[in-house]
Amino acid sequence: MKNRWFWSRLFSSIGVLAAVLVLNFILFRIMPGDAVSTIIDPNFSPEAKDRLRELYGLDKPLLEQFFIYIKQMLTFSFGLSFLSRKPVWDEILSRLPGTLFLMATSMFLSSALGIWLGIKAALNRGKLAERIVLRAGAVTASFPGFFVQLVLIMLLARTFPIFPLRGSVSIPQPTGALSVTLDYLWHMALPILSLTLMGFGGWALYVRNLMVKVLGEDFVLMARARGLSENRVVYGHAFRTILPPILTILLMSVPGLVSGAVITESVFSLHGVGTFLLEAVSGHDYPSAGAAFYMLALITVISNLLADVVYGLVDPRVRVGGRDQ
Amino acid sequence: MRDILKRKSVILLICIFLAGFLSPMLIAGHPSDVVGAPFARPLWWNAKLPLSSEYEVGNSAVEIKWDKLPPEIFAINGRITADPEKEVRIIWSTPQGEQVLDILRGSDVYWINMDGRDMIFKQKLGLPLIGKSAEHLFPSGGRYSLRTERAKETELSLSLSGGREGLLGTDQRGRDVLTLLIFGIRTSLIVGISATLIASLLGLGLGLATGYIGGWFDALVMRIVDVFLSIPTLPIMMVLAGLWGKGLWQMVLILSIFSWMGTARSVRALVLTVRESPWVEGLRVLGAKRGYILWRHLVPEAAPILLANIALGVPGAILAEAGLAFLGLSDPRLISWGRMLHEAHSFGAFTEGAWWLLIPPGLGIVALCLIFMDIGRYLEEKIDPRLGTGKNA
Repeated sequence: MKNRWFWSRLFSSIGVLAAVLVLNFILFRIMPGDAVSTIIDPNFSPEAKDRLRELYGLDKPLLEQFFIYIKQMLTFSFGLSFLSRKPVWDEILSRLPGTLFLMATSMFLSSALGIWLGIKAALNRGKLAERIVLRAGAVTASFPGFFVQLVLIMLLARTFPIFPLRGSVSIPQPTGALSVTLDYLWHMALPILSLTLMGFGGWALYVRNLMVKVLGEDFVLMARARGLSENRVVYGHAFRTILPPILTILLMSVPGLVSGAVITESVFSLHGVGTFLLEAVSGHDYPSAGAAFYMLALITVISNLLADVVYGLVDPRVRVGGRDQ
Repeated sequence: MRDILKRKSVILLICIFLAGFLSPMLIAGHPSDVVGAPFARPLWWNAKLPLSSEYEVGNSAVEIKWDKLPPEIFAINGRITADPEKEVRIIWSTPQGEQVLDILRGSDVYWINMDGRDMIFKQKLGLPLIGKSAEHLFPSGGRYSLRTERAKETELSLSLSGGREGLLGTDQRGRDVLTLLIFGIRTSLIVGISATLIASLLGLGLGLATGYIGGWFDALVMRIVDVFLSIPTLPIMMVLAGLWGKGLWQMVLILSIFSWMGTARSVRALVLTVRESPWVEGLRVLGAKRGYILWRHLVPEAAPILLANIALGVPGAILAEAGLAFLGLSDPRLISWGRMLHEAHSFGAFTEGAWWLLIPPGLGIVALCLIFMDIGRYLEEKIDPRLGTGKNA
């Protein structure tokens, strides 16, 4: 039965991915003219235009283009960038680790901090600490991320130059594995800090609400009556039951996380897929833009799938197939 | 519902509306007019910084008493008529001594167009090419004067652009930030509200249709909703903005395509419950047509949800618009808060430490979002008093 859950989630992910593929294909072909008409000079001779169309396979019938495109997307051969004339995949590959690192660390830190604060708030109901956490959460969540980041740069990189203004590495780049790592972390500190700062509030509010409800349930009373330690009651019993909804939120937050990473990379000029997408979009570099969008969507789909699998592991009811009914 | 006008956020919103749509008519200049030096501080920021000033230089010298920091821009414009045989000098005298700004000969009329920022100007005076020439022209506090020698007639104007300008300073092009801020209100409101309206109507239509018709249509639309909710929207909006162009209405369209899902879901859920209720069944038995039931009974039923959804959806649209504009994916001629932040970020606000370019548009976005969220919450409480604290119910 466990397999059935997994397979159904896998199929749904594949469905989303297929939709993304179709969307990506349509997007770049429904604009006025075609991809070539924007990169080539109108003064080009008709032969030159035709040759360019042939080069990018735009002379073939749409259906054939579609199959070629699907094959390209599945094998990650995205062709050459219009701007740099280098293979798009190489560019993306060099930028992917940065984006994934930014997303993963900020997601981990903001959810960990938010969950911890949320539990603390639930345990201190009606006290000042709870009110501070809730208020702080509401305030940070209502600020546009890039604005907070700009202010943080102004404060912590300009007025008090603790962190670098921009970029993923110092120029010139330091030598030695340790100093390269430290340099990278130093550059990533402010982006990660800001994403954590903006992300934890929502988590804290959500976890606090769940926790308040659970703490009022009979089994918690029972656990307390059995004389278990407070930690055991809170983390071993109450928290375990709210893990599945937390994972659901985690799953739902991934698309927003990707969007946040894109804008954060642009604010800090980080070397990542998001800045690549922005450069491609502003430079009318369609192969790169399509590939970058596809990769970001792929990240979302894969992390959703991962979260689903973890969900299955955490919630036995799902594993046994109860969710299908 | 009548006490909605007593809600502070509603009053604020009305004020912002008036400011956004009326004051552009009252402000005389255009927002892209250059009013002062680039990156001039707000008026109230530092009294040591000079204000902008202008002096007319006639045939006699003009005296200037200076007790502040050097100005940002030192510019002389005008006309000098003279005898072609004679050498005309423009002389700037400082407490430290005199400086010849220019020597003119061989003509009877000279058109003067001097700017302290020009390389030629700096070269002539032997000043360092990088850096502000005004700092060398105003070495200290004291008496300064500008005069011409051996000219027949002098009609010059000396303009000293100060380091302080307007209530919120100026941006990298010398435009007034307060004017830009006020003109930005309109963009945020138009984009935010119209995108949400379109999205809500789309969501209402699809929600009604899926809920009432059901079947394969319902399944299809709900799958589309799932897909839209599980792909990151910002990247796809960036791609669309790049492909469709960056105009105001393209932006509205792009935003509304990606924000109808929530409304569709909640309207569909409502329709599903109402559809099976006895009174709708009764209507059906009485022979009411599907369209009649939808329009006369289900739409009014869904209207309150829609209203709250619109109010709660506007902040999202405003934020998304600001985000796209911040990434530079908006019409450069269109003044918006996101665009202001974009320009601040790309054109050296950090090296100048120009916080006044960041804080006003950023706080504007936050304030507008908070106002709409408050109104949305108020409407929600009105619809479902259980949600409320009891205060407004």
